[in-house]
Amino acid sequence: MKQTNIYLLALITCVVILVPSLYADSSSPVSESPAQVSKEISGTAQQPKPETMAVEKTSETEAESEFSEEEGNAITIADPLYPLNKAMYHFNDKLYFWILKPVAKGYSSVMPEDIRIVTRNFFSNLMTPVRFVSSLLQLRIKDAGNELVRFVYNSTAGVLGLADAAKADFNIVRRDEDVGQALGSYGIGHGFYIVWPFIGPSSLRDTVGLAGDYFLDPVSYVNPTEASFGIMAYDEVNETSLRIGDYEDLKKAAIDPYVSIRNAYIQHRQKKVDE
Amino acid sequence: MIKRLTVLSLLFLLVFPLSAYAGIPLDTVKGHVNSILDVLRDPAFKGESAKKMKKEKIRVISEKMFDFTELSRRTLGQNWNKFNASQQKDFIELYRSILEDAYVDKIISYTDEKVSFNKENTLTEKTTEVQTTIITKKADIPISYRVISRGDTWRVYDVVIEGVSLISNYRSQFKEILMNKTPDALLDTLRKKVGKA
Repeated sequence: MKQTNIYLLALITCVVILVPSLYADSSSPVSESPAQVSKEISGTAQQPKPETMAVEKTSETEAESEFSEEEGNAITIADPLYPLNKAMYHFNDKLYFWILKPVAKGYSSVMPEDIRIVTRNFFSNLMTPVRFVSSLLQLRIKDAGNELVRFVYNSTAGVLGLADAAKADFNIVRRDEDVGQALGSYGIGHGFYIVWPFIGPSSLRDTVGLAGDYFLDPVSYVNPTEASFGIMAYDEVNETSLRIGDYEDLKKAAIDPYVSIRNAYIQHRQKKVDE
Repeated sequence: MIKRLTVLSLLFLLVFPLSAYAGIPLDTVKGHVNSILDVLRDPAFKGESAKKMKKEKIRVISEKMFDFTELSRRTLGQNWNKFNASQQKDFIELYRSILEDAYVDKIISYTDEKVSFNKENTLTEKTTEVQTTIITKKADIPISYRVISRGDTWRVYDVVIEGVSLISNYRSQFKEILMNKTPDALLDTLRKKVGKA
């Protein structure tokens, strides 16, 4: 109960910080959503940014003006906590290579892939309240209904959610929804980029979302707290075991991994909100 | 009656081949992806020794599939004009190598995955997005190919994986580097990266 209070306090604090930043956002040059940016551009059509003008002058082909449009629509995020975030990025990187990955590797050597996939389905089924409430918050009644149907069917025909029977039998697929996306759908911007230890890339808005997700996740209510965190850690190890190599590939492909991950995070979140 | 209908519908197909035209970007991408899948599944290329041959074959297909000049220009965006002709040429070549190093090993690791070609999405007059899904045992991964009309064919200039555009992602990185470095310094960074791999 004490712990719940702490999270409630964290949530309230975040809201207090978020509300003024909402207003700051509308005037800030760094905007997150492409829709917002394009509105800004059309709004200030008479006085384009100096950069855009430079390109127009030197443009030789129509394709080039298309680039600047593409670039103008690019999603960016403010990163005022850069030094701290970068330190957290390094922390998480070491956490992955020194602890999480070896543990996940050991785990996957004793646990067949099929069982790990079934375990993932089980945890995913438990998270139904997060997706259900987030869909409702966006007034996506059909998605919320689908989640309900999925939960009932997968918990029974799918045996406690071990199998995704709703997808296999009726092609009702899971839609990843969370509170952060619901906030995004209201037009709330990211605020700024935050890298949390253990959790990884996030933003001010998505942090508030995470607090909401925490309340909606039944595992959070497991007593004692140690057991609750233990289950979450197990879920994380199981999930990581199914994704070994993804992070390595991302790092290998990047020239500057920190910037690459930050950009991938906001692009990915943008897609989720748009969907 | 059925026979007449068949004849009639065949006639329709002959008279209105335009309906097929709409599918050219999708078919182009599909053709390339399928020829890559053929290389991956070719039993003649089993084992470690054949890896190099597989890579070479995929490289040849990618040369036809992608427009690396367009891809490079769009990645650099406004910074493209800061590069002189020979720097641009070097950039295209280095960038291509980096992408190859980053993705070919991943592609080769695929074995029993299926690809479904979902639909086309017209972006502009000359560009179209082809939406596909890679269906693996662990998850379904949405991948879109953005293609540009080039003469009588379509070439890929961007790949969007789970909503993350490849060229936007690299653009954000190059932009930061070019903020306080010259094009030559960037090219040196890329050369080092290619040399290491």
